[in-house]
Amino acid sequence: MDKRIDSNITRGSAELAILTLLNERPLYGFEIAKHIEERTAGALRFTMASLYPMLYELEQRGCVKARWETNPAGRDRRYYSLTAAGKKELVPLRREWKRFFHALDGLAGLNHA
Amino acid sequence: MDVNQREEIISELAAHLEDLYQEHRTHGMSESMAFQLCLRQVAEGHRIARSIERTKEGVMNHRTKALWLPGLATLATASILLVILQPISSLQPKTFWVNGEQLGVDLRWLTLLPICGAAGAYLSRRAGGKTLTCLVAGMFPAIIMLGSYCLFFPVGLLERNSFISHHLLYLGLSLLDTTVLPASALFLGAAALAFQRRDRTGTHNAS
Repeated sequence: MDKRIDSNITRGSAELAILTLLNERPLYGFEIAKHIEERTAGALRFTMASLYPMLYELEQRGCVKARWETNPAGRDRRYYSLTAAGKKELVPLRREWKRFFHALDGLAGLNHA
Repeated sequence: MDVNQREEIISELAAHLEDLYQEHRTHGMSESMAFQLCLRQVAEGHRIARSIERTKEGVMNHRTKALWLPGLATLATASILLVILQPISSLQPKTFWVNGEQLGVDLRWLTLLPICGAAGAYLSRRAGGKTLTCLVAGMFPAIIMLGSYCLFFPVGLLERNSFISHHLLYLGLSLLDTTVLPASALFLGAAALAFQRRDRTGTHNAS
């Protein structure tokens, strides 16, 4: 079975994944992509083409803010952190996704599949 | 996009490729293989550039979509409504006299204005406008009128023997009639939409 989830769902869940990670601590682009891939066992995978437009969109909407900092390896990286507005957005977003999966579970019996 | 913004994006993407290359090398990949894999990410360069450009700028910027267009829509609707109402109804605007000065209030128009305000606020909200933006878009016609008064009133006062300087009460009543009352009516409609809780369903649909 293909471990990669359908690209439509991936795109829709990307926002939740990024905001959730940034809610834990500030991260830069590469770290975000790596963490998401690791923590979803490769089900969600970002390329440059999918990650950065999403990050810039979140930044424009005021959900995240970015600033250049030096990482532990001594290189300058653009770190993204969640803003108060982003934190506020995350709460209903999580609730909606929970409802979405619950509804899907009720329909397709995912827990018993 | 300005030059600084462009350079910042290039630096960020270059840093990403650098990290990716280092990671491949850490996992024991040969230099050429690691380089090839990084190159694959850049192969979609045009798509990335287009996508970023679209995100950064959009077809219209956020202010245009959330403020100017909804505001102009409110202004157009309110104006059209005023033009339509005048000939089709036999009821004339109610006239009040205050110290010899006339105040004409078109109650039919004022009654319908909250709908215009709500429509403007709705369009602004749909475009991602915040509460204040929604309110401004919904009350746009009144704001334009107030702006006109602010512009012409001082000019009128400067002019010797001008109508305004001799009829300040008339000016006040006129301000009430064309700005304050419509603003209140528009506010009623706009506020109903602007202060409503946001439904998050549309923002993350899985499509």
